[in-house]
Amino acid sequence: MSDDVLLRATDVVKNFASRRKVNGIRTLNTAVAGVSLEVKRGETLGIVGESGCGKSTLARCLVQLLPVTSGSVEFNGVELTTLSRRKLRPHRRQMQLVFQDPYASLNPRRTVGDIVADPMRINKIGSDAEIASRVRQLFETVGLDPSSLRRYPHEFSGGQRQRIGIARSLSLNPSLVVADEPVSALDVSVQAQVLNLMTDLQDEFNLTYLFIAHDLGVVRHVSDRVGVMYLGEIVELGEAEALYETPLHPYTEALLSVVPELNDTDAPRRERIIISGDVPDPSDRPTGCSFHPRCPAATEICTSEKPAFVELRPGRFVACHHPRNTDSVASTN
Amino acid sequence: MRDLSVSFATRQGVVQAVDGLSFDVGAKEVLGIVGESGSGKSVAMYSMLGLVRDANVSISGSVRFEGREILGLSDTEMQSVRGGEIGMIFQDPMTALTPVYTVGWQIVEQLRAHNDMTKKQAYVRAAELLAEVGIPDPKSRVKHYPHEFSGGMRQRVVIAMALSCNPKLLIADEPTTALDVTTQAQILDLMGRLQATHGSSIVIITHDMGVIAEIAHRVVVMYAGRPAEIGPEVEVVRAARHPYTWGLLGAVPRADVKSRRLVTIPGNAVSPLDVPTGCAFAPRCQYRMEICDQRPALRGANDHVDACWLSDEQRLAIRSTATQRGAS
Ligand SMILES: Nc1ncnc2c1ncn2[C@@H]1O[C@H](COP(=O)(O)OP(=O)(O)OP(=O)(O)O)[C@@H](O)[C@H]1O
Ligand SMILES: Nc1ncnc2c1ncn2[C@@H]1O[C@H](COP(=O)(O)OP(=O)(O)OP(=O)(O)O)[C@@H](O)[C@H]1O
Ligand code: SF4
Ligand SMILES: [Mg+2]
Ligand SMILES: [Mg+2]
Repeated sequence: MSDDVLLRATDVVKNFASRRKVNGIRTLNTAVAGVSLEVKRGETLGIVGESGCGKSTLARCLVQLLPVTSGSVEFNGVELTTLSRRKLRPHRRQMQLVFQDPYASLNPRRTVGDIVADPMRINKIGSDAEIASRVRQLFETVGLDPSSLRRYPHEFSGGQRQRIGIARSLSLNPSLVVADEPVSALDVSVQAQVLNLMTDLQDEFNLTYLFIAHDLGVVRHVSDRVGVMYLGEIVELGEAEALYETPLHPYTEALLSVVPELNDTDAPRRERIIISGDVPDPSDRPTGCSFHPRCPAATEICTSEKPAFVELRPGRFVACHHPRNTDSVASTN
Repeated sequence: MRDLSVSFATRQGVVQAVDGLSFDVGAKEVLGIVGESGSGKSVAMYSMLGLVRDANVSISGSVRFEGREILGLSDTEMQSVRGGEIGMIFQDPMTALTPVYTVGWQIVEQLRAHNDMTKKQAYVRAAELLAEVGIPDPKSRVKHYPHEFSGGMRQRVVIAMALSCNPKLLIADEPTTALDVTTQAQILDLMGRLQATHGSSIVIITHDMGVIAEIAHRVVVMYAGRPAEIGPEVEVVRAARHPYTWGLLGAVPRADVKSRRLVTIPGNAVSPLDVPTGCAFAPRCQYRMEICDQRPALRGANDHVDACWLSDEQRLAIRSTATQRGAS
């Protein structure tokens, strides 16, 4: 594994037993359907996709909070999926999660100081005094007043709680922070504060981020590279600017075309592509390309043959029989 | 709406949820109300429709609908206005739907409450309405229960219900906030088309400036229960006047252009128990002056007004130096 890759996932699959039955047999809900990706050291890889497409499940599989059904996850060159719990522990410490809900993810009965100190105590890192001073330092780092250590989560606003969650995730000096919708529950002005904070912390501590969100603007803003998920698969992946400017997958193209824009310049608006219908049930996946029932570009082959996830241009991967905008990609390269 | 104020007497003190809100909605106009969580958007709409069920509420001001005062109407009078001439769409479609009845039954009840129709006629009309909002196979769908629909489809059903009596005004409280972008696009597109065919006016509440730009003709920006700025959508988005609007516009990470460092508004939202007596935004405003301890009135050119003490010269100077997207 080349040095600059921190995490590599290969063909990761996660099945859940679904509630749907066919002929009395429970079908499988394939929440993650064969995802391969690499996260490079120091970068932010954004994952964007609509509700239920498997973003959170993928995140949990990558940090080994959920066992994968099949596939491999290598972290710092070590295969994690086959490790015992004990052997996994030092690697797990290197990967921390920040959750969406700043209300539900903090224990309401512990002081915020304890919440940030707990990971260090559990992992027996440092003396009590060392831990206490590190907690104060972390509070300052994320822009909270250390004099509020003894207060409880409900005494803080949403944005402050998310800062506490971030302080907790940094307490063990991780190399990878997996943030699952870290700003989705926040108002725009508070969201901007937390996003700027995360950018600053990345520079300061040389962090690698896997940043998950459904908000296309947020993902573009924070990411160096972006993967677009649909029904458990990554259908397109590439450098953020290139992907947003010239989407290749019809799903990415449609998704970007319908993001409400501010129209504050005279530049013409992208033509809106409104795709009809709903996302299919993941326990009843379409044949061929899983996007074909809703795809404006679909042809016969799309219904029968699954498109491979190929590197169409250097660093640009797409799973589609009829990629869009290929002329403009050719001309800009 | 003129000078609407709504407060709640609570154990912690008086919550001033809405404080002096005035605006007009023209025929066939789409008015957007934007503001962050707690700014009083929902309370303003619910109190105007007599939907605030709280013994400790006090409401003052005036709301005239086609010249008729509707604030303070009796429950029965109000009920004939709601769902009749004024339709409502909520963020969570399940607040408008009852889980134990089929969607057809619910639309039929609504139709028959406001129109003279037989059950049979009403069922035919219900299926037509479902077809109009783009629900496939409407004749069999009328027999389905709300839980058999996806989130986007439920919102379509609610829109069908709201349209059932050909309302002159449609009030939509965050109708797409709970939906995915592709579903949101379907719903906004639907609302736009229906507005064009039915000719209703719409008041849409949202916290997303993008949604406003997409659908609204005019916009009210709210902060701490008060209007901060009111004007035509294009002007507010491209030439905002109020510092809060500048911050709000600059804080949005964009999908359509590469963004620079986001503008942040320092501090947290004000507590509704303790709104400053002067300009409500003053504690977070980087341009505050001494005079900001007094409450600014809405002023400006006739259709674009804002509540801020900055003079036009000061704003020009700020805009020429500011990095704020909203101000530039
Ligand atoms: N513990 C579980 N048991 C069974 N099914 C699950 C479980 N967790 C997730 N799923 C299913 O897996 C699919 C993917 O869910 P997931 O939460 O990963 O999506 P997501 O992209 O994070 O969505 P959201 O944007 O709503 O958070 C969904 O169909 C979901 O119902
Ligand atoms: N029954 C009540 N008693 C006391 N305070 C209330 C009551 N209802 C609402 N409030 C307060 O009034 C203020 C305005 O609330 P409102 O629901 O109108 O905000 P909003 O702008 O719709 O916010 P959101 O975007 O979160 O929906 C809030 O501070 C809220 O806590
Ligand atoms: S493979 Fe076919 S169905 Fe799938 S996205 Fe591409 S064109 Fe559409
Ligand atoms: Mg999720
Ligand atoms: Mg509300």
